[in-house]
Amino acid sequence: MNRWPRTLAWSLALITATGAVGALFAKPPALSISPTLADPPVTFNRDIAPIIFNSCSTCHHPGEAGPFPLLTYSDVKKHARQIADVTQARTMPPWLPDPQPLKFVDELRLTNAQIDLIKRWLAQGALEGDPADSPPQPKFAEGWRLGTPDLILTAQKALILPPEGTDTYWNFIFRLPIEQTRWMKAIEIHPGDKRYVHHANILVDRSGSTRQREAEPGAGFGGMEIRIESEVFDPDSHLLFWKPGTVPYLEPDGMALRLEKGTDLILNTHMQPSGKPEIIQPSIGLYFTPQPATKLPMLLQLENDVKLDIPPGVRNFLVTDQFTLPVDVDLLAIYPHAHYLGKDIQASATLPDGTKKTLIHIPLWNLSWQAVYRYAEPVFLPKGTTVALRYVYDNSSDNPLNPNHPPVRVKAGNRSSDEMCHLWLQVLPIHVDAAGRDPRMLLQEALARHNIEKDPADFEAHYNLAAMLQAANKLDDAVREYESALRLRRHDAAANNAMGAALLASGQPGKAVAYLSEALKTRPDYLPAHYNLGNAFAAQDDFAGAAEQFRLALELQPDDADAEANLGSALAEMGRFSEAKTHFEHALQLNPNHALAKENLEELQRATNK
Amino acid sequence: MLLVCLMSSELAFSQQSALDLDGKPANPFDEASNKIVVLIFLRRDCPVSSRYAPVIQKISAQHERDASFWLVFPDKAETPQTIHTYLQQYAYRVPALRDPEHALVKLAQVQITPEVAVFNRNHQLLYDGRIDNWFLDLGRSRPAPTTHELADAIQAALAGKTPAANQVRGVGCYISDLE
Repeated sequence: MNRWPRTLAWSLALITATGAVGALFAKPPALSISPTLADPPVTFNRDIAPIIFNSCSTCHHPGEAGPFPLLTYSDVKKHARQIADVTQARTMPPWLPDPQPLKFVDELRLTNAQIDLIKRWLAQGALEGDPADSPPQPKFAEGWRLGTPDLILTAQKALILPPEGTDTYWNFIFRLPIEQTRWMKAIEIHPGDKRYVHHANILVDRSGSTRQREAEPGAGFGGMEIRIESEVFDPDSHLLFWKPGTVPYLEPDGMALRLEKGTDLILNTHMQPSGKPEIIQPSIGLYFTPQPATKLPMLLQLENDVKLDIPPGVRNFLVTDQFTLPVDVDLLAIYPHAHYLGKDIQASATLPDGTKKTLIHIPLWNLSWQAVYRYAEPVFLPKGTTVALRYVYDNSSDNPLNPNHPPVRVKAGNRSSDEMCHLWLQVLPIHVDAAGRDPRMLLQEALARHNIEKDPADFEAHYNLAAMLQAANKLDDAVREYESALRLRRHDAAANNAMGAALLASGQPGKAVAYLSEALKTRPDYLPAHYNLGNAFAAQDDFAGAAEQFRLALELQPDDADAEANLGSALAEMGRFSEAKTHFEHALQLNPNHALAKENLEELQRATNK
Repeated sequence: MLLVCLMSSELAFSQQSALDLDGKPANPFDEASNKIVVLIFLRRDCPVSSRYAPVIQKISAQHERDASFWLVFPDKAETPQTIHTYLQQYAYRVPALRDPEHALVKLAQVQITPEVAVFNRNHQLLYDGRIDNWFLDLGRSRPAPTTHELADAIQAALAGKTPAANQVRGVGCYISDLE
């Protein structure tokens, strides 16, 4: 009789976030600005409207994030000096990165010539000019930009944003009402009132782990940084991000995101008070494709939170991290993240031939305008390329954004007054290695080893490394790594369960029982541990014990065909054939192609017919 | 050209007065004999102005006995109705004036919304400028202000002194951008 341990269980704590940035605009015409006597005066219609329409109106129109419209001469005139100021200071349009050879999609950066033109327009009296010179006023689609979504979900409960106080970080959970696997090619995020939501990320939770944080279902929960646990190797791969001006986009062919029954989408939002109470009730629109994913990108996280221990008063606290790619990748997008002490943020890639490329440089970091930056063209980074982050933090009182006044020692953490040193790279591995191993696993293994080097007390790194070793069938090595993980968190349910599964796979069910029981002590409703424990009992011919565990698993998930089939098998071993038959038949109702149930049912029929 | 400008300015002069929300000329100093007067200049389309609403409420509630507070809307395009609605939305308990000809703007020497002007009991201008240093620019704000110019100016006025600062420009929207 076949018995097998269920899926390996491991938790990859990656925070997903992603990105669509602003609309793709035509480049404004190059402007010659050598002022001579013959130069005609700068006018709104001829000179300024093209800049405003291309770079400002996307957000500055009703229903969007901009606090006032910038669609007509009188709109712009009412803010002329302000516009000259904020463009000169490069506060607006909000675009943090310095110019660089690697271009991003939807760059919002004005040229010096454009900024100078606005300044001259103001100095000359902010003239309207000839209406015939004006480009047509931009038209913006209302409602869903990509057409009617296949599925629209609205947050069950709105958040009442208080009128004052510090920024609010709130998470809305969207439970997907889907019965079977769907492939999502695009998502449009309507974050509630765009004027007050500063940015929003979507995290994919396939384990239901974040639901536990809601006081009641649908209530949502507070918190700036959240972690998602995953029980199968399914690295987060898409940066689903909204910021003001974001225009939803279709994923490239073959890069759809898999959604399953039970998957939750968590919308992590950052809001600023407006002065009056605001009702924030986001919606999301999902667009499906029948085409399953064929390209599997992955998010690589560089970080060095362990080095974040910044004494008060220090102006230039440097944190670095670097990682050498074990496979060729295309870099698709980048998402730097720090909190309020972050100042100068850089990431680079040094290719094996020594060429150095700036991936991003933000000379004056501003959390409020954080964004995912997608590259206009994929950036090829061959195996052996070292990607590096270099973040500088200012924990002095000279940093006006310092959350502590006077400054105090700051370490890494999830609160906004803590710090972070994170950089996500969305990469698409280009070649599969000769052994046919998923290149994402090679990346994950290399990352885990790198993280252990940085911080031997990194539980997740040991856990993830163990999981990769287990997947590569290096079971002894996996068991050693799980031991390291469990030395750091003795009672962790996921690690105890994974250890049990590894021991079971390496033919040590007796040892496995202790770990699986420990997992269930921590989390009595942990389905995979019941399942694995059932298998461990069965492997020792304790079929009554096995049957009990499979029954407990079925209480947690009544439509689990695997558990039904295994329960049937355990009962059959005990000679309880008619009960066994019922469970095999139920397993086949749930999954008509269930091989084990089919095989065992046939065997059962042969045995009873004898 | 210049002459025409002067002419129109002269013509406008006779109408130069703030208006209450019933459209009647209003002088915030009339009803405030021997009281400190605080004028707070706001634009409805200026998000910084709006974000200060709770701060303005608190300070005005704290000093309602000693000082007379007025919200002043310098945008000519505002109607009494739009201002009424705004006051309701932000739960303001401070009376509001329209200042379409910028009579109070000139008197208070303010340039930006939100800015304030604090006049002493003799109705001499003691301070004009920002409320505090919460905002650094239009893209960045401190977690909490570390200087409190308006509160300091009110304290000085109550004590019959001059404030340490008599003018600190604010962050927000230019009044001069309005017609």
